[in-house]
Amino acid sequence: MRDWLRNSWIVEHQSGAQEIAGLLAIVERGLANTKVVGLAEDWRFNIAYNAALQAATAALAAPGLRAAREQHHYRTVQSFALMIGWSAAEVGRLDRFRKKRNIIGYESAGVVSEREAREMYDLAVVLRDDVLAGLGKHYPKLVKR
Amino acid sequence: MGILLPIMGSRMPGSRNLLRGEVPPLFGKTRQRLLALLYRRADQEHLQERLIQLAGLGRGTVQRELEFLARAQVVRRLVRGRQVYFQANRESPIYGELRGLVLKTAGLADALRAGLAPLAGGLRVAFIYGSIAKGTERRASDVGVMLIGDVSFAQASDALGRAQEALGREINPSVYAAADFRAKLAARHHFLRTVLAGEKIFLIGEERELARLAKK
Repeated sequence: MRDWLRNSWIVEHQSGAQEIAGLLAIVERGLANTKVVGLAEDWRFNIAYNAALQAATAALAAPGLRAAREQHHYRTVQSFALMIGWSAAEVGRLDRFRKKRNIIGYESAGVVSEREAREMYDLAVVLRDDVLAGLGKHYPKLVKR
Repeated sequence: MGILLPIMGSRMPGSRNLLRGEVPPLFGKTRQRLLALLYRRADQEHLQERLIQLAGLGRGTVQRELEFLARAQVVRRLVRGRQVYFQANRESPIYGELRGLVLKTAGLADALRAGLAPLAGGLRVAFIYGSIAKGTERRASDVGVMLIGDVSFAQASDALGRAQEALGREINPSVYAAADFRAKLAARHHFLRTVLAGEKIFLIGEERELARLAKK
């Protein structure tokens, strides 16, 4: 983590309970929005992915960090895991969804299957739960409800 | 002229591969390895020293084979300073055919088939689509792989991730359950219709099985 700070992959960031609460609210809103009837699968995937990214951002913000703007998603995915003790395999899985999301955005519209959208949602829920548990354990003052 | 009868109880060379749905290698080990290295990254110049290292065969054997392939004009030999490079020759009149053969037997497709082997029981059809299947890939092109059956995206990307490291190209899986695949085709889904109309290199199953899946 110190190396990442030195290389400016992540930067110091003044955060607090209000910002964490805001990020977690976006996560919940996103997860709820994926359930809207009639939503196309690529949208459901994107919304669930964004919820996962915001949960990861909250995990980084708690100790006063955020990923640098350049390659922001990649760096967030790679660095937040240390905060909640995710394994390399779990990070690798989220990173493959990140790559899928890039393809949806830049290359082909409508490229997501029903199964892929559901898996992204399931992963976002697990990530949200793990982040909440990690915040509750290590930064209880930031997640008072 | 007599009639050729199959010899009962013995196997033809390569029949084990055919039983597994694979194409048996048509070239000797050295040629197969070098063509695989050169043609699955046809967009790149490959340093001779690196090819010797990656082929895992004797220096003399590899150098002789590379010279042979250069004389046959299926690869280009380039000299820069003291370094010698080789590259698949896109100007060769048999470039397209040879590339297709290499990809289907000793190159990309074999590596992907090996990666998917643990999931084969749950997959109805798997194939490469897009620029790699068309032969129009560029240096940064990824490998589009369509998978239809009872596997998850996470399983597929884990399995293909191992092949990705060996191939040095990003692999981009699209994973559909058979029912979702059919429903999207029935709804005239643009992406799937484009993929189905394009070139394919089959990894599991074949065109007939794909047509069956689409129609059911």
